[in-house]
Amino acid sequence: MLTIKVLGSGCPNCKKVEGIVRQTIAKMGLEAEVIKVTDYAEMIQYNIMSTPGLVVNEKLVSAGKIPTEAQVTTWLADALETA
Amino acid sequence: MTFFLDLLQAGLGNLAAYLAAHVLLCLLPAFYIAGAMTALIPKETVTRFLGRNTPKYISYPAAALAGSVLAVCSCTIVPLFAGIYKKGAGIGPAITFLFFAPAANILALIYTGGVIGPDLAFARFFLSLAFGIGIGLIMALIFRRDDSAHDKATNQMFAAQGTMRRASLVFLLIWIALLLVGTLKVGLLTNAYGQITFPLNGVQAFQSALDRLIPYDASRGEEGLTVQGVILIVSLILIGLTSWKGFENVHEGFNRWTWLALMLTGLTLLIAALGVKASPEGLNIAFTGKFFGVLLTGGALIFLMKALLSKDELRDWLWESWRFVKQIFPLLVAGVFVVGVIRVLIKPEWIETLAGENSLPGNLAGVLFGVFMYFPTLVEVPIANMFLTLGMHRGPLLAYLMADPELSLQSILIISAIIGRVKSWTYVGWVALFSTLAGLIYGAWVDGAGAVLAMLYLLAFLALLGGALWWVNRRNDMLAVAQKT
Repeated sequence: MLTIKVLGSGCPNCKKVEGIVRQTIAKMGLEAEVIKVTDYAEMIQYNIMSTPGLVVNEKLVSAGKIPTEAQVTTWLADALETA
Repeated sequence: MTFFLDLLQAGLGNLAAYLAAHVLLCLLPAFYIAGAMTALIPKETVTRFLGRNTPKYISYPAAALAGSVLAVCSCTIVPLFAGIYKKGAGIGPAITFLFFAPAANILALIYTGGVIGPDLAFARFFLSLAFGIGIGLIMALIFRRDDSAHDKATNQMFAAQGTMRRASLVFLLIWIALLLVGTLKVGLLTNAYGQITFPLNGVQAFQSALDRLIPYDASRGEEGLTVQGVILIVSLILIGLTSWKGFENVHEGFNRWTWLALMLTGLTLLIAALGVKASPEGLNIAFTGKFFGVLLTGGALIFLMKALLSKDELRDWLWESWRFVKQIFPLLVAGVFVVGVIRVLIKPEWIETLAGENSLPGNLAGVLFGVFMYFPTLVEVPIANMFLTLGMHRGPLLAYLMADPELSLQSILIISAIIGRVKSWTYVGWVALFSTLAGLIYGAWVDGAGAVLAMLYLLAFLALLGGALWWVNRRNDMLAVAQKT
């Protein structure tokens, strides 16, 4: 199972990322846990400098931008392979 | 009851005049520019100068640059601030960044310049730069020991290199050119190079009806509404509606509304650049230099969008711009309305006795008001404009403009979560002091003290401060050495 973290204080972009991630999970038919991280102290551990950030299985895949569904699909597929 | 209606009318009148006069050629490009900066400038171009091993003379200016270029929104400000502080260049540049970002980000500067005047925008920029770096250095000195004890771990966060694509840079520069062409008041741009008159009956009557509806008094700084203004407000509403349909779901692909919104924006910018006057013969339209300038830059932008920007870039740019509009514009509209209402209630004499002159109490009043009042992003500008027309001196006005965005309860709470309470209140104290000083110096310059003298004051103060800090620092070191032996 994948653990996906969306890093962000709750700004509109962070919600957008969360939406895209959930959509992708549903489309791929994956079993995944989506966690929202709003605590800055925790976010900083992933070395991000702007939100929204996206972490898949403890690996930072994107920060400061809204990824497309295609990108998220690739990241999730990669994570499944290595896991 | 009539009193209430008067208030309502004053608020609406202010709002209408504002939308017509300032929003189009100033704010609309500003939003698109801010969106382009967020979407098209890779953060690494600046952040790689904010690492732990960067020399001070690079990291401080870089922090200021990051503040004005990268940080139009809190999504970037807080994480970047925490990042610089905890893993990068330390508390000094982090504070510089924090100070500079709200006062001198691109939206705030453009808006200040457009509404109040370029002189105040420049003053805001330069004094924020000088004081941002100054306060950063001071904080770094005061909390030197804490800072060196910080986690010395990785520098990798700031090691990433990034370069901006040439096409994106050109795109951004042309937007800025469009903004300048649209707002600068020089002869070349404001002169008319040909005009036509549409024989429309009733235009004159429409204009006088407007003047009755929104009575204005130039001496009080109120702006009226023209026929052109009405057209612009209507198209602004149309742009808003089409943008909603076209940009809100831009991540799922462009649709017809997206292009329609963009075309409407271009058309409206062109109309706004024309000189339109109602006369007894009809509607008089003058083709100003501004119009041709907007035509030229707009054409170049369309070419760039079609030919050189990738689809992803275009999408990110539109989304970021739209997000700024959604986030800031409604609050701004409400703010301007309220300002219009309050203007009726405040007596000019109050402002004049409180801050009509460039005095220490006057400047302190400006700063105190800024600290205790919290306004949403950019609303400080129309409020400052109101104070100005009510007779506030430009010195205290600048003091207010420096203090207000830097210090609000909200930002104090956020930064104290990251750097601790002692440090944040120290920061607040320094900002209050420096804002007062900025107001005094700028006010003296406005009163005719001469730029050299103003600079001398500034330098003398900074030298005094630096000397004092150096002395304190040395004494501490000596004490520490003495304790060890």
